[in-house]
Amino acid sequence: MGIGVKTFWTFNIFGVEVWITETIVNTWIIMLGLIALAIFARIKLRSFKEIPEGIQNFIEAAVDIFDGLAKSNLGEKLSYISPLFFSVFAFILSSALFSVFGLRAPTADFTTTFALAMLSFLMMLIMGFKHKKGKYLKSFFEPYPIFFPLNLIGELSKPISLSFRLFGNMLSGTIILTLYYALTPIFVQIGIPALLHAVFDVIFGALQTYIFVVVSLMFVKNAAD
Amino acid sequence: MNFTILLAQAAVEDRLFGLDSQTLIGALIQFVNALILTGALSFILYKPVKEYMEKRSLKIKGQMEDAEKAKQKAEALVAEFEARLKDIDDEAEKILEDARLKAAEEGRAIVENAKHEAEAILKRAQEKIEFDKIKLREESRLYIIELAVNLAQKYIESSIDDNAKEQLFEEAISKLELSKWQS
Repeated sequence: MGIGVKTFWTFNIFGVEVWITETIVNTWIIMLGLIALAIFARIKLRSFKEIPEGIQNFIEAAVDIFDGLAKSNLGEKLSYISPLFFSVFAFILSSALFSVFGLRAPTADFTTTFALAMLSFLMMLIMGFKHKKGKYLKSFFEPYPIFFPLNLIGELSKPISLSFRLFGNMLSGTIILTLYYALTPIFVQIGIPALLHAVFDVIFGALQTYIFVVVSLMFVKNAAD
Repeated sequence: MNFTILLAQAAVEDRLFGLDSQTLIGALIQFVNALILTGALSFILYKPVKEYMEKRSLKIKGQMEDAEKAKQKAEALVAEFEARLKDIDDEAEKILEDARLKAAEEGRAIVENAKHEAEAILKRAQEKIEFDKIKLREESRLYIIELAVNLAQKYIESSIDDNAKEQLFEEAISKLELSKWQS
């Protein structure tokens, strides 16, 4: 695993060069994994029992815990958008855990975190206009219309700062681990990296996932309230 | 070096971060990926599981409400039966009290009747005794008269003549009649 993002293929679509990078391929792998898990859970749903047991406990707990988290941050009124953030949560966490296997996390690339941040920003706009209507638009021109650019930058900076936070944290783990593998002798590359992966990928990954999703939920709620 | 060559060179090199069109294109692809993943996970996993859990919650809530209603009904029935039992106890107590009063009254009536009957029997016995006494006295008197007559007859026949006998007989008869009248 290198520090930089590899480009596997390049395409030219309508005169525009498109790179299919390691990040995009890894994202597809994670997506396939998550969708396969979702299909497995959906099949299992047919045989769900009233008193959960085995894998049903895990599936129900995952949905229920996230639903509680979303409702506590968004409130009952906006809880219908929780599936979107559930997917974001599952994706960021899976990306972090993906690095445990020595593969580059898609969230260690700014394109991914920026896309996720834009998704949050889009949700902020949609929820703001849906629930506050004209008042939301008016809030961009307060206290005076001249402040519109500043307000717009202020709103945009929220998800962008969030995306940089996630990107920086995930990239730092990737860099540290890459440097460790590159600079240490082979005999210390057994056992010790497990601890580093546990800290940088599992603990920091889970923490950053939580932070990204919770802060995004708060931004959306603030925009809608 | 034109723009196309720069892109080609960049495409083969690893890149860490860049604020260029490829970042935007990459972000756009990732945005689409995120939307696809959101749609897939929402419709395949999140919503169905949530719906299942909500249905189950509603079912359990319904069962709990039914159980609560059944409990309230049972408590009402218990209260009703307890009230009935209390009424039955009161009624039994009243019946016993009435029976006791009736028995006491009947007892008194029986004793009273027995007393009256005993008095009547006693009275009848006293009357019979009195009657028997009178009857005995009459029989005794008649017997004594007959005895006296027989004795007198025997005596007269043996000691006096016919005139004297006649006189004595008359006197004896007179005395007996007198005594009879007096008794």
